[in-house]
Amino acid sequence: MLSYLAQRLASTLLVMTLVGIFVFMLLHFSAGDPAAIIAGDYATPQQIEAIRQRLGLDDPLLVQFSRWAWRVVQGDLGVSIFSNTPVSTLVLQRLEPTLSLAVLTMVFAVSIAVTFGVLAAWKAGRPVDRLLMGFSVLGFSMPAFVVGYGLIYIFAIELRWLPVQGYRPIMEGIGPWFQHLVLPTLTLGLAYVALIARMTRASMQEVLEEDYIRTANAKGVPARAMLMTHALKNAGVPIITVIGIGVALLIGGVVITETVFNIPGIGRLVVDAISKRDYPIIQGVILLFSGVYVLINLAVDLSYSLIDPRIRH
Amino acid sequence: MTTTRRRFVQGSLATGALVAAPATIRAQTTPSVDRTIRAVLHGDLRVFDPIWTTANMTSYHAGMVYDTLFGVNDKYEPQPQMVSKWNLSDDRKTYTFELRDGLRFTDGTPVTAKDCVASMRRWAARDGGGQHMLARLADTPIKDDKTFQVVMKESYPLLVEWLAKAATNVCYIMREKEAQTDPMQQIQTIIGSGPFVFNQDAVVQGQRYVYDRNANYAPRSEPAVFTSGGKVVNVDRVVFENIADEATAIAAIRAGEIDMIEYPNVDLLDSLAGEKDIKLEVLNKQGQLGWVRVNWLHPPFNNVKARQAMLHLIHPTEVMKATFGDEKYFRGCSSLFGMGTPMENDANIDWFKGGQNIEKAKQLVKESGYDGRPVVVLQATNIAYMNNAANLIAQWMRQAGFNVSLQASDWGAVITRRAVKTPPDQGGWNVFFTSGSVNAFGNPVALSGHAANGEKGWFGWPTDEKHEAFRDKWAKAENDADRRQVARDMQQNAWDFVPHMYFGQWFQPSAQRKLSGLIGMPELIPFWNVKKG
Repeated sequence: MLSYLAQRLASTLLVMTLVGIFVFMLLHFSAGDPAAIIAGDYATPQQIEAIRQRLGLDDPLLVQFSRWAWRVVQGDLGVSIFSNTPVSTLVLQRLEPTLSLAVLTMVFAVSIAVTFGVLAAWKAGRPVDRLLMGFSVLGFSMPAFVVGYGLIYIFAIELRWLPVQGYRPIMEGIGPWFQHLVLPTLTLGLAYVALIARMTRASMQEVLEEDYIRTANAKGVPARAMLMTHALKNAGVPIITVIGIGVALLIGGVVITETVFNIPGIGRLVVDAISKRDYPIIQGVILLFSGVYVLINLAVDLSYSLIDPRIRH
Repeated sequence: MTTTRRRFVQGSLATGALVAAPATIRAQTTPSVDRTIRAVLHGDLRVFDPIWTTANMTSYHAGMVYDTLFGVNDKYEPQPQMVSKWNLSDDRKTYTFELRDGLRFTDGTPVTAKDCVASMRRWAARDGGGQHMLARLADTPIKDDKTFQVVMKESYPLLVEWLAKAATNVCYIMREKEAQTDPMQQIQTIIGSGPFVFNQDAVVQGQRYVYDRNANYAPRSEPAVFTSGGKVVNVDRVVFENIADEATAIAAIRAGEIDMIEYPNVDLLDSLAGEKDIKLEVLNKQGQLGWVRVNWLHPPFNNVKARQAMLHLIHPTEVMKATFGDEKYFRGCSSLFGMGTPMENDANIDWFKGGQNIEKAKQLVKESGYDGRPVVVLQATNIAYMNNAANLIAQWMRQAGFNVSLQASDWGAVITRRAVKTPPDQGGWNVFFTSGSVNAFGNPVALSGHAANGEKGWFGWPTDEKHEAFRDKWAKAENDADRRQVARDMQQNAWDFVPHMYFGQWFQPSAQRKLSGLIGMPELIPFWNVKKG
């Protein structure tokens, strides 16, 4: 087990190195010049060139890459070209909103979706199943911005129950923090509810046709115990896989929801950085994302053996 | 331990207090909503140094934090701001400035003549007008803590105008320590002597920028007019909110979460129609000017006939309509200096009076000897007015006989490519679109884009010696009447050699919720003088 873990962690480093090289090259070969953006529209070519020299952007690519890689090895992700703020500070500032949104979304999505999926599998082919699966198709098909604007219109503008936009850190109170996350969580969670519910239904249906379930039924085991104890645990591996992928996608994929609800998260940090070609931020955040992505996959793999001891062997 | 009713109540109260504590502490340190203005301006504040960049958002920030030696009134006349009195020597070469009493930076130190001279020199190294002045500057002797001089090599009537101008770069006064920073590097500390203090602890980069009232600021006694007069602050805090999504910003102002949007999306203005607390007001009455830059270094626009063809084929009303819809928010522009500026005039504008004339453009293209090579038009698809202008103008260019290659990218890529001087088929370009504040166009010396000094100049690199001579003459003119005459001559010549073209002038309204006293001016949104409620 330990050697497996070490192997996976080593592969994480390899993946991050490759991602680092790829992102660096991609950024520097794509069109765009941060010096020109910094200098502003009226700046002359000479002024832009002077800024480029100051920022070291006119150095050979290899020199720039070595400089960046050496800093990263020392744990320094660099400094934003525009705001002069360390990338690690910017990421830390943005981590809480993104994590808050991701955690609430997954809690909401998993609790609703697993219930829906189990219920749909149990009542397969009946109106409840059709209703729940119809709902999940709808949730999957509607773009986040459509759902977001719809919720804003109903709950923030018409009813005035919840705020339109913004984020309050949890340290400013759980109430305001939660209030600001309700609509984004519903918006983002809907697609995940649909995804996880469909996977749960399919996996549960397979398990519910097993002999041991028929035996449990014949013995008169109550439906609730049969579904939750006997069936769901055995249907867990594919569901956890989907949840794991969902978490990984959420970390980097919340940008539309963050934009619609004006949440200062990591997604918006990267998109803003791309639009202004703030290379250190883009490189730093993508490097972090790749590490998180690989580690989540590792956590998902390890969780299989906890759910299904046969996998350990 | 048994749970009694009393213990339960005590426990509940303690838990409630614990949960509410952060909010309570915050409420004690944050100004009330009634004393806070939350404004969504036209973009994100990316850079904090107003000398390092010409970005308008940075100038908005600097206008809050820093003060200026002079301001301008609504006739664009310089008025003393930090200066109490000033005079010009009989030989018209030496200006003497004396600072008014009570000026202090927010760290408590007094503003001195040394701070002013260092700030002025750093600004002059970057600004178009400043560089013009610097080339003719002899010395800046400091007489005492409050008095300094600017000694020019020759009579230089524009100096006070440069120090007062609101168009970027503005000569903001910093502490000497920051002002001694290399002009090509950003300052690290933001301490000014302006009407607001930048609250860095409350900033969320990319999201929220917070300015608290500077309790120690001593405003002038005159009424506030543009950047002149008393900068009296009537609220405790101003927050620049960066809401990237325009529909969200509209929803937020409707719900009362923000108090102002500088430029609400014109397509969404109808949704504000029924809101009795929200008013629409054009603050920048001069507006923005859409600008077509053509590359003089390569065919076909190294030929004057091809450039003249561009004047005849553009239909400003159609371009403006595509983006701004309602005709009350735009107009055409025939003057080289923009419409509504002191330098606006009607010399040599027959091409404009005749309206769009594709046949005439076709004939001029033919006369230019254009050989049918692809004309590379850069199209920034992420900025609506640029995208629309590129689509329409490219189509008219095709009708006039140009073989247009419309090359789409984002604005970030356009501003990189526009600096490339190689031929268009080797990564260069022929046409790009941008815009500028009309106020800036009113000054032929300060705006780098007005220069026609070839490859040393702004992108497009037009060359015309006569034009450069007129710019120099304009700078030396002793009064406004003389300047207006030179401007007229300059325009007469310009619309013959055609340095660039315009595709319209627009005036976007701001949306304000229960605000009064906002000073409508170009280049800046002043938050002094504003009242809420």
